[in-house]
Amino acid sequence: MAKLILLLDDRVVNEFPVDAPVTIGRQSDNAVVIDNAAVSSHHACVYRDDDHFVVEDLQSTNGTFVNGTRISRRNLRPGDMLVVGNHTLLLDGKATVPPPAASPAEVRSPGAGETIFVDKRTMLERLAMNSDAHRKHQALLATLQDVEAHAKSAKGEISGPLGVLRVLNGHADKAEYSLEGHTSVIGKAKTSLVRLEGWFKPTMAVAITRNTQGYVATSLGGTTLINDQPISGRHELKDGDVLEVSGLKLAFSVKQ
Amino acid sequence: MRLRAAGRTDVGRVRALNEDVFSLHTRDGLFVVCDGMGGCPAGEVASQIAADAIVGALTSRTPVTDSRRVEDRGYLAQTVRLAEAVRHSNQIVFSRAQEDPSRAGMGTTVVGAWINGHVASIAHVGDSRAYLWHGDTLDRLTCDHALVEQQNVLLRALGREPDVDVELTEVLMQRGDCLLLCSDGLTRAVPDRALSQAFGDIRDPQRVCDYLVDAANRSGGPDNITVVVVELAAGWARRMATVFDAIRWRRTRWRS
Repeated sequence: MAKLILLLDDRVVNEFPVDAPVTIGRQSDNAVVIDNAAVSSHHACVYRDDDHFVVEDLQSTNGTFVNGTRISRRNLRPGDMLVVGNHTLLLDGKATVPPPAASPAEVRSPGAGETIFVDKRTMLERLAMNSDAHRKHQALLATLQDVEAHAKSAKGEISGPLGVLRVLNGHADKAEYSLEGHTSVIGKAKTSLVRLEGWFKPTMAVAITRNTQGYVATSLGGTTLINDQPISGRHELKDGDVLEVSGLKLAFSVKQ
Repeated sequence: MRLRAAGRTDVGRVRALNEDVFSLHTRDGLFVVCDGMGGCPAGEVASQIAADAIVGALTSRTPVTDSRRVEDRGYLAQTVRLAEAVRHSNQIVFSRAQEDPSRAGMGTTVVGAWINGHVASIAHVGDSRAYLWHGDTLDRLTCDHALVEQQNVLLRALGREPDVDVELTEVLMQRGDCLLLCSDGLTRAVPDRALSQAFGDIRDPQRVCDYLVDAANRSGGPDNITVVVVELAAGWARRMATVFDAIRWRRTRWRS
């Protein structure tokens, strides 16, 4: 199904299916309402004409622009940028004209809000076809990449100084453990970084999570002392902290 | 480790069809919420296939093909397995969409949690979310893969491309902590503050689910609503304290 994507300052504001004629204007009886002084009450209309889409200016005061040129009536191709006032409408390039028979999507959920999926690569290819609007599209793409980068940073290739646990006292299989992972467990569990052995040792005594700010220790079972103080909840680890877990004494330090 | 889990899904007040799916496997500590993409054909098929594929991959004995990827580095083995299961489900949804023209372009979001001991591994794609109730605060664990959070523009979805980026999170659960998995039908209708309040007032997972679904419907139910709540059951001392708190609260209310 073809869609018009409404953008303001390169952010997606909303999107509208073009299965029926879509009117654009300031008044509330339009399908796309843009409440802005630069937009006429009934500014423009987008509709399907047989196998293609058409935009028509409804004698607006400030005009309707397609890829930078003022138009009165013009055929639209996928990826065309329609400018009305400060807003931009993008005809979804994936839009293919559906066959006359109603598509399954229309039968199932008529008029219901849809979810669209933006595939950046095809969008780029589609958008690059149109050199006039290319610059505008670049800006939109940059926004898309921004959001993706933000999502990536939350997931984090973790950076920042590396924490190390050094065994001061007690039985352990190594003298030093570096806390490289997102989560490091001290306990009897198989996935533990520091394996505790013995019948009465807790499966998970303490877990240390790593984030961009540093390391946080969470007590999970048994008694855990940090600098001789018992902890019950979460504790932000600082360089030089000493952990005591089930007879094991560990010093936390940060490698710069 | 004892888990108490409940889930509820509801069509909402606007849509004709529920395309959300949830799956509870309390014994395996595995919980999945999928939100089929509305407006695309077979959204409800995509969400069901994805949920089944993830559960199938993690509960069957035959291991999923384990290709260690760079982006999985630093995560615990079970988290990587969860990620592999989600990628596997993506391939299945994608290939089913290729085989059947009536399902072409189907897609779904997913948020899945796999709890092993105190460690919850969370994988998500799209705008379904996970939250952790800890102490008396509700923390959001996931970052939506959507362009602007209020809009239905997904940057990532399951089943739309042969490969998918899965975002991973590891979080520690202490006794009494709750995990909330939900579709955007809940988070668009109910603000985070109200979600947090629901956990503060009600502790029972099933009653939290019922309350939140009703709350989303009261504010219009614009989309399908799915809520899954998992509690890492508190020890008897903590539970008694909660009961006493509840009695005290009722009494004070009785008196005033």
